[in-house]
Amino acid sequence: MMAMTFSGAGDRVTQTASQWWARLRAEDPSDHTIEQWLAWMEEDEAHARAFEEVSRLSQRLGQADSHAREAFVSEFVGAAERRVRWPLWLGAVAASLLVAVLGGRMLDSMSRLQAQPYASDVGQNRDLALPDGTRVALGGASSITASYADDLRKIELREGEAFFNVTHERRPFEVVAGPVLIRDLGTAFNVRRTGDRVAVAVTEGRVRVTPPGGADALEAAAGQQVLYDPRHGVSIGPIAVDDATAWRGRRLEFVNEPLFVVVASINRYSRRPVQIADERVGALTFTGTVRVDAIDRWVEALPRVFPVQVSAFGDHVVLSSAEQH
Amino acid sequence: MDSPGQHAAPPEISSGTEDRAAQIAALFREHNRTLVAFLQARLNSRADAQELAQEVYVRMLAMKDADPIAAPRALLFRIAANLAVDRIRMRAVRANAPADVPDDDWFAQPIPEQHASALQQWREVRAALRELPAKTSKAFVMHVIEGRDFGAIAQTMKLSERMVRYHVSNALAHCRARIQPSETP
Repeated sequence: MMAMTFSGAGDRVTQTASQWWARLRAEDPSDHTIEQWLAWMEEDEAHARAFEEVSRLSQRLGQADSHAREAFVSEFVGAAERRVRWPLWLGAVAASLLVAVLGGRMLDSMSRLQAQPYASDVGQNRDLALPDGTRVALGGASSITASYADDLRKIELREGEAFFNVTHERRPFEVVAGPVLIRDLGTAFNVRRTGDRVAVAVTEGRVRVTPPGGADALEAAAGQQVLYDPRHGVSIGPIAVDDATAWRGRRLEFVNEPLFVVVASINRYSRRPVQIADERVGALTFTGTVRVDAIDRWVEALPRVFPVQVSAFGDHVVLSSAEQH
Repeated sequence: MDSPGQHAAPPEISSGTEDRAAQIAALFREHNRTLVAFLQARLNSRADAQELAQEVYVRMLAMKDADPIAAPRALLFRIAANLAVDRIRMRAVRANAPADVPDDDWFAQPIPEQHASALQQWREVRAALRELPAKTSKAFVMHVIEGRDFGAIAQTMKLSERMVRYHVSNALAHCRARIQPSETP
């Protein structure tokens, strides 16, 4: 056993120590095995030290928290069969020959890299675990696609709202929300997209937000929100971390948000969508809480605080300026 | 908690003859380090190893026969090996008991401060494992991180237990070479 060939890193003592360690881990080592091991341990202080070190490393890994554990399992256990390893000697020419031979199988493995869509229904939040262990909470009527390549994890927020708790690893993690690119810098953050208007609220760590048109990227830290609006450009300001994810508790919190954003958000939770009849109404700003289970009541109460009129139809509600009538 | 220079005190001597006690005290002096190392490898926990080592001495002291023990070192490790098997079995029973309700309010839990440095450690481990053949890192993660025994892994991966052991020890040596041991284990 001690003579087995070895391909990884590590000096001989470390390798032998690891082999002994693995041998002692088997069901119940025999007295003979223990005797041999003791002889090796006592032969040299370096042996004993190397053994204690591999043992300590193993213990540390065994105590991984659930986050790390899941990430390791999903990368190395779940996906091990899928990983394609190219021999180093394989040049581009040889690779192209291989394509001809293995065409079908290669196409199959490449298709696994294609974007994986996830979506939630109206009124339903949905929690997801991505292949790297990153957790995503999707708000109602929201959708993302996840594309994982060897060097990048890319998420597209197609519509709605999502909260990301990113597992840290070698590959960068990016979210594209319409015109805005968000790059994770060690983080949990919430992204809400209303058309091309995007709000990025950081609840932990930092993110870098790059607005369209090559404008300067902004870095936001926990408790900050970056807002991009096609008309007003990009701005950064404080936000209550609890408010940014209140929707997960089925409460929608708004601070100085235009009514069209508020309405788009509640429509993701409402069976009876609200339509805004004119721009002036959409531009009114609202600060407050909308409970997901009481959207109708909130809409009915709007004329008391805003110059608006509510017209209810069977399957939708229209908000229009009160002055029009 | 388990700094290298710090050894547990020999157990209180409460039974057995003076000779027996002296013999066991000598065993402790000579073999306690390897005994704890043996138990730590078996149990993957230094705290459990130290606790069981104490138990081993207590058992030896409590043995009825007053004559000096013929092969004391072999007996020391046999008792330890048996206690380790019992402990592993006990853990398996506990693991099969109904688990706690999984916590789905994960976002509300603040991640502890040390998370960043812990993540740095995991990054190193992950980078090291990526350098290995897929089967090697898979067997290793299943054994060391998931805590599955070689038999179960052999079944899942359709390998012999011997090959599983081979992959696990390769990965361990590789990680040990790639990762700087932290100051505080």
